[in-house]
Amino acid sequence: MKKISSIVLAVILVFTVMLTGGCGNSSKSSAAGEVKIGVILPLTGSEAMFGTMEKNSFQLAYDELKAAGKTSVGGKEIKLMFEDDQSKQDVAKSAAEKLINQDKVAMLSGGYSSSCTKVIAGSAQTMGVPFLVVTGSADDITKQGWQWVFRGAAAPASKYTEALWDMMDKVIKPKTAAIIYENTDFGTSSAKAFRTACQKKGINIVFDQSYESGAIDFKPMLANMGKSNPDIVFAVSYVMDAAMIVKQMKELNLNTKLFIGGGAGYTMPEFKENAGNASDYVASTTLWIPNVKWPGAKDYFTKYKEKYNKEPDYHGAQAYATMYVIADAMQRAKELTPAGIQKSLKETDLMTIMGPIKFEDWDGYTNQDKPNTYVVQWLKGNLQVIWPQDVSTAKYVFPVPKWNER
Amino acid sequence: MHLLGQTLISGFLLGGMYALIAIGMTLIMGVMKIVNLAHGALVMVGMYVTYICFVLWHINPYAGMFISMLLLFVLGSLIQRYMINRLVEVDSILPENQVLLTVGISLVLTEVIRFIFKSDYLSVSTGFSGKTVFLGKMSVSVPMTIGFVIAMVFTYLLHLFLNRTDLGMTIRATAQDRDAAVYMGVNVSRVTMITFGLGSAFAAAGGSLLLPMFYLWPDIGHLFTAKAFIITILGGMGSTAGALLGGLTLGIAESLGATYISMGYKDVVGLVVFLLVLLFMPGGIKSLVKR
Amino acid sequence: MKKVLINITVAIVAILLPLVFRAPYHQHILITILIWAALGTAWNLLGGYAGQVSFGHAAFFGLGAYTAGILALHYNISPWWGLLLGPLVSTLISIPVGLICFRLRGPYFALAMLALGEIFRLVFINWVTFTNGAKGIMIIPKITMKLPYYYMALGLFFLSLTITGLLIKSRFGYYFISIREDQDAAESLGIPTTRYKLFAFLPSAFITGLTGAFYMNYIAFIDPNVVFSLANVSVMIILVVMLGGVATLWGPAVGAAIYILLSEVFRTRMGAASVLAFGILVCLVIMFLPNGIVGELDGLRKMALRKMNGGEKSGLLRG
Repeated sequence: MKKISSIVLAVILVFTVMLTGGCGNSSKSSAAGEVKIGVILPLTGSEAMFGTMEKNSFQLAYDELKAAGKTSVGGKEIKLMFEDDQSKQDVAKSAAEKLINQDKVAMLSGGYSSSCTKVIAGSAQTMGVPFLVVTGSADDITKQGWQWVFRGAAAPASKYTEALWDMMDKVIKPKTAAIIYENTDFGTSSAKAFRTACQKKGINIVFDQSYESGAIDFKPMLANMGKSNPDIVFAVSYVMDAAMIVKQMKELNLNTKLFIGGGAGYTMPEFKENAGNASDYVASTTLWIPNVKWPGAKDYFTKYKEKYNKEPDYHGAQAYATMYVIADAMQRAKELTPAGIQKSLKETDLMTIMGPIKFEDWDGYTNQDKPNTYVVQWLKGNLQVIWPQDVSTAKYVFPVPKWNER
Repeated sequence: MHLLGQTLISGFLLGGMYALIAIGMTLIMGVMKIVNLAHGALVMVGMYVTYICFVLWHINPYAGMFISMLLLFVLGSLIQRYMINRLVEVDSILPENQVLLTVGISLVLTEVIRFIFKSDYLSVSTGFSGKTVFLGKMSVSVPMTIGFVIAMVFTYLLHLFLNRTDLGMTIRATAQDRDAAVYMGVNVSRVTMITFGLGSAFAAAGGSLLLPMFYLWPDIGHLFTAKAFIITILGGMGSTAGALLGGLTLGIAESLGATYISMGYKDVVGLVVFLLVLLFMPGGIKSLVKR
Repeated sequence: MKKVLINITVAIVAILLPLVFRAPYHQHILITILIWAALGTAWNLLGGYAGQVSFGHAAFFGLGAYTAGILALHYNISPWWGLLLGPLVSTLISIPVGLICFRLRGPYFALAMLALGEIFRLVFINWVTFTNGAKGIMIIPKITMKLPYYYMALGLFFLSLTITGLLIKSRFGYYFISIREDQDAAESLGIPTTRYKLFAFLPSAFITGLTGAFYMNYIAFIDPNVVFSLANVSVMIILVVMLGGVATLWGPAVGAAIYILLSEVFRTRMGAASVLAFGILVCLVIMFLPNGIVGELDGLRKMALRKMNGGEKSGLLRG
């Protein structure tokens, strides 16, 4: 029994040789006239919806750049290589190492979930290949002092609310607040930042609870929150939980002066679609919306919608802007090696649809762009910028009308 | 006080719909003694069928539910006949490898659906999706109440079927003692096929009832698999009344947990109740009801 | 003699393998295979030999990983000490878990373990002050070369294999199998079944915890949804074992190699259809090789031997 099993094992090990060796050969042969960029996104599994949107946006930007002749650098053509991380971190690590060792990419990009982004960042840093994060928002990704990790189009989770605080001081002036958030990395980081800021400003937090994403019934939690009667509610939720929460607030006839979402779910087209008119007057912080003032933003939105027949949200915009940052850095790089690209990324100063992007060291962050954040509000079915005032597209509604007065 | 009322109402209504999903599983587990991890995926497929009916032909989800049940009955029977049944006949070291087959089936179903519909979130909104009635200060959701009532009717019908018809009694006989049933001339492979079909149909019904107030995406199945298991064990395998009580117990336990402990620990409450029942009341609630 | 020779050959191949595959990517895949082989072998002791199918081994994997992580997070102690403490914590926790859950049999035991695994995951997510919640724990690894990790993983797998091998060849092995085949009969023969189940459970939890601690050090980042995952840890361990061969010594290793290689090839070659193709493969393997690849091979070999013996006899007759 043992004999045959060990033979089997040996055969399999030989198989390993063939399979992995095979992978290597196929990609090495075409290396001559190309400079490769690895992009790791969740293309299958539960986060595939966002991964696909980002992949499409990369492709859209790439095609535009190609038409403008900006995808060839010094006779070499930029080539995007997409890898799937299946939203699993050990797969993300495999993908990163395959791209770096096997395909010899000049730099990495991608990273949707915070956990996968952390793992990719770790691999990029140890192997000395620049990694430009698209979405992964956990604070500590750019707080390790890692020189090879850059984050441009994405803000650290705790900075999503910058614009909101300005508006809080000038308009909302709440005395009490309630916080509800999903118990993910993004949710807990955002809630923590909000909590700290509240304490600093003397806002009394009367309700503070996390939940597990995917619940059918939020009513027990919401009814409990209603009992504490907060001036405002700050909620960090995934897209469908967001819709469920506002719908059920309406069902419970639970009124607050303003309901503020912490980015993520509350700004997406699906949120509006699923929450229906319960989404009216819901405010949210965000990094981007289609009618923001930056050049090309609206264009991107219409082009994407035309090509893929679906509305993109800020995740897509992050990927689109990232592609432009990459192409720009490639054009300026003195040599197309990881070190050369790292240097040229560091010197980036580019206007994108997400606003100007620069990689700076500040507040304990390394190579982190200072994000532009906005407060938006759903008004008559459209998402409008309401703060900062100088870029607003509509006047805010505050306090919002009660459910039975609408 | 009205907080307690609200919590109980929410838990009670939701529990009724959990029960309908779990009844499918309790049937399958009771008769075939297998752990079916594809149950949630079947719920999901059922929901998609109802969704397609709604979007393409504007069939109200409560009517689309019947189409979905029919289709899932066929799908379930086929899965049982051509996949799971193979393993029952083969001699293997661990009978639990059936479980793994169901994992494979659920992967395939999920990915096929993802292939067709992508990972997008879909939802069905009918005119009464967000309607509520207020009892004092407590809100009662209309679609939830409708769902609850339909779930109760189905449960009762199934109960009648199992107790009053020949086929139903054959199913129960197989559940009690498979070998004896074979000796009595029961065509066990036909009975298991029908049982799996019925279980899948009820899964589809439960999913369809949730559709007007919930949403839909390919990975939603996992949520239901876990709940259905807990309820099946709570109620005792193979018992419709047990599943009903189990569903209500779980719904209320979760709601109370969400209100009085924390929403994050809501599922822990359900699981702890589950473990306690498993350990101290191995027959489930059924063992209390039977007498 | 031949057996020993082959074992030595396999060992030498395993030791030399990373010297042939120098690319870190290949070495990473080899390490992943070894991790799953170690986990599968440990699970097999309890699930395959003693017949106690656990759907909650993620609990021990996660406990091992988190012991290492929390040492680094709260006490600023190198997570490598987790390799010592992690398995101890897992084993300690497994004693009450075993005593409670072994009251249950068959699918009930499986489900109780499943529930326990989920409870651990939820508690680790919600207990933010101690575990850092869903943010997880990230460490900066001191060793960036792959080679040391490879040999550690190899050692881990070897340990798992040795413990399992020694146990099943001893008196314990027979008791395990008798419990699996008929617990009542075993009990009536005077075998203290709960105690012997524990003897299979403790080493199994020990190795699983050790592997978890190693995983933490290697991947350098953990969060509860990953290390306590039902689908990606608990069920995957079982999948690896069933694929390779339940209750065979080498089965889990073969299963791990095939599983990891195929899913990697599918992932890089097939794009969006990869998970689908993989699911179909799982169904086919279980339907047509219900005892796993190694398990079925053994059966086939025995059949072939019988035929050969029969053939020799008839040859003799003719002669």
